[in-house]
Parts: sequence; structure tokens; C-alpha cells
Amino acid sequence: MCNCENTYIPIPMKVEKILIENPDRSLRTYDLSFVNEEDRKKFTYMPGQFCEFSILGKGESPFGIASSPTEEGIIKFTVSRTGSVTNEIHYLQEGDIVGIRGPMGNWYPLEKLKGQDVVIVGGGFAFTTLRSMIVFMLENRDDYGKITVIYGARHPDLFIFKEELKEWDKRDDIILHLTVDKPVKGWNKLCGFVPAITKDVKPDPTSWCIVCGPPIMIKFTLPVLLEIGFAHEKIYTSLERRMKCGIGKCGRCGIGSKYICIDGPVFSYEELKKIPDAF
Amino acid sequence: MVKIKKTGLNEFIELLMKDYDVYSPADVGKKTAFKKINSAFEIRHDITNTHLSPKDVFFPQSEVLFQYSDDGLKVPQRNEKPIAVWGMRNCDTSSLMMLNKVFGDAHQMPGKDMYKDPYWKMKYDNCLIFNQACNEPLSTCFCNWFDGNPFAEKGADVFVVDTGDHFILEGVSDKGNAFLAKYKSGEEATKADLDKIAELKKTAESYLPDVIDIKPLFAKMNKIWDEPIWEEISTKCINCGACTFVCSTCHCFDVTDEGKGKKGKRIRLWDSCMFQIFTREASGHNPRGLSTQRVRQRIMHKYNYFMDNYEQHLCTGCGRCVQVCPVNLDIREVIKQVLDYKLSKNEDN
Ligand SMILES: Cc1cc2nc3c(=O)[nH]c(=O)nc-3n(C[C@H](O)[C@H](O)[C@H](O)COP(=O)(O)OP(=O)(O)OC[C@H]3O[C@@H](n4cnc5c(N)ncnc54)[C@H](O)[C@@H]3O)c2cc1C
Ligand code: SF4
Ligand code: SF4
Ligand code: FES
Repeated sequence: MCNCENTYIPIPMKVEKILIENPDRSLRTYDLSFVNEEDRKKFTYMPGQFCEFSILGKGESPFGIASSPTEEGIIKFTVSRTGSVTNEIHYLQEGDIVGIRGPMGNWYPLEKLKGQDVVIVGGGFAFTTLRSMIVFMLENRDDYGKITVIYGARHPDLFIFKEELKEWDKRDDIILHLTVDKPVKGWNKLCGFVPAITKDVKPDPTSWCIVCGPPIMIKFTLPVLLEIGFAHEKIYTSLERRMKCGIGKCGRCGIGSKYICIDGPVFSYEELKKIPDAF
Repeated sequence: MVKIKKTGLNEFIELLMKDYDVYSPADVGKKTAFKKINSAFEIRHDITNTHLSPKDVFFPQSEVLFQYSDDGLKVPQRNEKPIAVWGMRNCDTSSLMMLNKVFGDAHQMPGKDMYKDPYWKMKYDNCLIFNQACNEPLSTCFCNWFDGNPFAEKGADVFVVDTGDHFILEGVSDKGNAFLAKYKSGEEATKADLDKIAELKKTAESYLPDVIDIKPLFAKMNKIWDEPIWEEISTKCINCGACTFVCSTCHCFDVTDEGKGKKGKRIRLWDSCMFQIFTREASGHNPRGLSTQRVRQRIMHKYNYFMDNYEQHLCTGCGRCVQVCPVNLDIREVIKQVLDYKLSKNEDN
């Protein structure tokens, strides 16, 4: 064996805590801790990166890292139950040992965002890496200007990280706009699709914007941002494709000459518009 | 130069087997492929290109990444000898150099070890390549479109020419020369041998198709992504994936677990961008759900995307895909079709 790192070998992790995020139990957040101290020291990441979550005997699936590097020792993922691997993840109990490979991919342009106003637009459970980003910015609050968050879900139950959303809502150094698709009894916040709400909120186009959500939401939010006057190179998004290796070898996640797993998942609109099959 | 009488080749191969695991073109069922051999008598000297490409030696169709059980993970090790491959062709050798960009060099993220593939490197890094000249290129060969030549030595450790009764071996790399120095053949290559080689080369080149200028291919492909040409090209393809399996440069794979309960292995298997499920996501969404999109992916990857990343085409002109396609979708015709294609849009767009 060559002495290069073997990235196919998962790092053993212990399931510390499981949080069921919604009443239909389809979304669960997992706090994992490192079994080996050396692995913990070596694992450094940035908001926006992802891991391959590995269940021996079932396979692997990629998930965005929902924790922030400022939350030491814990790696957090929120998993929506959709197929074979995610099913198996939902069967996990606290104390179980699983594996992760990563961190993989690039991250949100936090260096460029320093000293700038930041607008975050998210939809559904794709809010994971956006949480990472928000927690990171709040921990380093003085490095950033105004922080505005627009977050939409189909139904109030389908928001993730509800407790944190409540806390952020109380703070005056972050502005939160929460919206649901249709009116629901007892919901006293915004109502309407993310693109429409973004239009109403009309964020300052000199800020930087991170958009992350289902493809359809991204597709309809981008034109709104462009109309408001955001510069193409100041809009960022994170893409998803089916993945296997996560290291640019298996060919699965290719879009044009890029691989989402190593050239992304984070791309600026400036980059994406040059890639033919990005959306 | 080393001259070996054909009848004495086994002696040479036995010497080689002392230091190396030796692979060569051989029969595998009804097909020919590169196979580990135990004597020179297994070598198929009489064929030009094997049905299956030599990528299988370094990137096997199925490969265990690790085994898992209650005792933890076990990664297969290669404590065997390094690999030597006899009977590679110039296109075969070039294909390994291309695959090494993907698996070995990790070009896209310089300095990042995590992007190097240890399973590839443990086989490829200290291998010894015997690159044999093609005296009789096949009607499907078009290596000359990609700067290839039946008598090119590029990428080889030892260059081999079959002159009839003999093999003439020439060391190309230090590694190749070091090995040849161990062999005492007793015969020297003569002026007549060199003349013969020059003559064979000329004959071989006459077998190849006329060279076409493929330099404009990359730029042309940048413009045709959403043009109707892809429908024309893909109509007859039945998405069987045979072309990608025999291809010496296709490298897509799947990773899957095999086993029962807590005991089993994680393996990787060749996969193909020609298959519909290759990109189908859990939600049902499929970015390449249509045959046209998948054929475009294969062709674009070979002649545009790879070029964008590595400044070369991901095709050697070995012609294996041409030989195997059940509906005669000939990639040479596709290249010509693209080059001749008149854009439906204004050129300035
Ligand atoms: C960069 C990235 C970040 C992601 N982050 C999250 C997240 O934070 N939370 C979350 O719930 N989901 C996330 N996903 C989607 C998640 O990976 C898929 O829902 C999951 O792989 C489905 O696996 P399955 O085995 O349950 O489904 P199956 O349909 O049984 O899929 C079988 C295999 O196909 C692959 N696959 C299928 N769908 C996808 C897909 N959409 N994306 C990637 N691979 C897929 C996986 O290897 C999977 O094991 C992310 C995907 C990517 C690419
Ligand atoms: S695309 Fe066809 S000709 Fe080119 S390397 Fe692959 S099999 Fe050979
Ligand atoms: S071998 Fe021919 S029919 Fe089969 S996938 Fe390739 S091009 Fe299509
Ligand atoms: S997941 Fe294998 S190339 Fe991106």
C-alpha cells in the first residue's frame, strides 16, 4: 500500500445524541463524537463541507455538516429518511458506532464575507450547512456586518433546529424571516414561497448572498436576487448530485468538467452560469 | 538492445516473474484480456488489441476496499511483487497515463493526499510496462488521431518489437534498463534488425486511417451542448454500456457493501454513465434521465471535460468501443459528425 492517506476508510464515530426534528419523525439530527482522539485532532472543516456517512453492510450517503467548527468535538448531521441508507441511519440508537469519511468538498466563502453584510436564503432540510454557517458567524460576530436570514418550509413542523431558531429570533444581531408555504393555524410569522418572500424582504444588493434549498427553490430565487441587483459573483449556492467516492474519481457527480464533490458543492452564480447542466 | 529468440521467451518471462507479477494478453473464456500468467506459453502474441482493456490490471472490475467484521476493518495489502505487463500497446500505455491523472496524480487538488487513490497507486506506482509495437493495427484503430503511433515508446519502460523469429527489446526508462541488464541473451540486435523495424513501422502506419485534425473539437463542443446534434448521435444507442466497460479510459465506478449482518466487504465495481440509475437520486430526480443526456455525457467527458481539466482527450483511439457496440455506433463517426456540424445558433452566441 502506498503511504498516502486512504480516504475510503471511514472514521469511527459514536452517536452521542439523536434529536427527532418533526412529528412525522422523517428528519433526525445526529450528534456524533470521535471514537479516537487522533481522528478528532485531524478533522478540521469549514461550514459548507460534507461527509460520506457510512453504515457497514448498507453503504454510504453524503450529508452536509450541520455543526460549526466552533462546536468542538461534535459533528452534526440532519438526515431526511428517503431510501436504503437513510432508513438505516434512522434505526440508529444513541451509543451506536458509525463511520464518516471527510470532510469533503469546498466551503462557503467565509474569507470574502469578512466585513460584509450577509443574506442567507434557505429552504427545507437543506438548512443544515446554513446552520453551520450561521453558528460560525455568530461565534465570530464582529467579523461580519448585518446578517439576514430568510428560511422557508412547507409547514411549521418541517423547520429544523427549531430551538435555535427561537433563540436567534430573540437576538438583535441577526434578522430572521421565517415563512411557510401556506397559512397554518397558530403560525404568526410569514406566509409564502421563499422567492416571493425574498422579493418582499428585498435585501440590500451590496451584500453577499448564500442560497441553499431544493433545486426548484434555487431556480426561482436566483432571478429574484438578480432582479434586486445582486452581483453574480456575490451569490453562492450549494449543489447536490448523487455521489459515491466523494473524491473526484467515480465520475458520478459530474456537471460539465467539474465534480461537485471536489470542485463544489459550493459554487458562485458566476461559476454556475458557465456550466451547462448545473440546474 | 536485447534480442530474444521467440522460442526462448519463456526463459525471459521466468526471470521477470522472479521480481514481478507478470500480466499479458491471454485467453479469458472466449475473450482476450490482460491476465496474470505463469509461463510465456499463455501469452497471446497473435492479436493486436485485447477485447478487454488492461485497465482491469490496475483498476479491476471489482475490488475490495476493505473487509468489515466485529474485529474491525481490514484493508487488503499488496505484499506481493510489483506488477509487470507484457504486450501492452501504445494506446494501452497512454490510457494508463490518463487514468493516472484521475487516480494517481490528484491534479485537481495539488498537495492533497486524500485525492490520491491508494488502491491504484499500490499497483501502478512501481509497475514495469513492456510496450509492444503493433505490426498490424486493426481496422478499428485510430490512435494516430490522438498523437498515438503503433511504434511509439511513450510511457513505456521497455519497448518491444516482434520481428518474426525474435523480439527486440529496448530499454526506455531507467527501471526498464535496470531490468534488461539482468538478462543475458547472447544475441545482439543487428543493422538488419533495425532496418526491419523501420520497415515494419512503415507498414503498420499504412494500416491506420487518414489523420483528421481534431484540434477544433474541444472548442466546437463548447458550443453544441444544447444543440439537436445529440439526438441524432444518440438515437441508435441502446444504453447497454458495453462501450464504457471495454474502454481503456472510462473510470466510473460504484461502491457497494456485500455481506450479511456485521460481516462483509465494501467493494467498488465498474459502473457506467450509460445507465439510467447512475445519477438517479433518492427523490426520483435524475439529472441525466434521458439517453441523449447520457450519450452526450460520455462523448463530452472524453473530448471536452477531460480536456478542460487535463489538457488532453480521454480517448486513445484504441477502437474497442467501435468493435463491441451492438448497434455500430462508431465514435470516429461521432467525432466527424461534431466537427462537421453546422450550429443552429449564431456563432457569436
Ligand atoms: C453534498 C450533499 C449534501 C447533502 N446533505 C444532506 C443533508 O444534510 N441531509 C439529508 O437528509 N440529505 C442530504 N443529501 C442527500 C442525501 O445524500 C440523499 O438523500 C441520500 O444519499 C439518499 O440515500 P438513500 O440510500 O437513503 O437513498 P437511495 O435512493 O436508497 O439511494 C441509494 C444511494 O444513492 C446515492 N444517492 C441517492 N440519492 C442521492 C442524493 N440526492 N444525493 C446524493 N447521493 C444520493 C447514495 O449513495 C445512496 O446511498 C445531500 C446530498 C449531497 C450530495
Ligand atoms: S472511447 Fe473507444 S476508442 Fe476511445 S479509448 Fe475508449 S474504447 Fe478506446
Ligand atoms: S456500446 Fe453502443 S449501444 Fe451500447 S452504450 Fe455504448 S454506444 Fe450505446
Ligand atoms: S462522488 Fe465520485 S466523483 Fe464525485
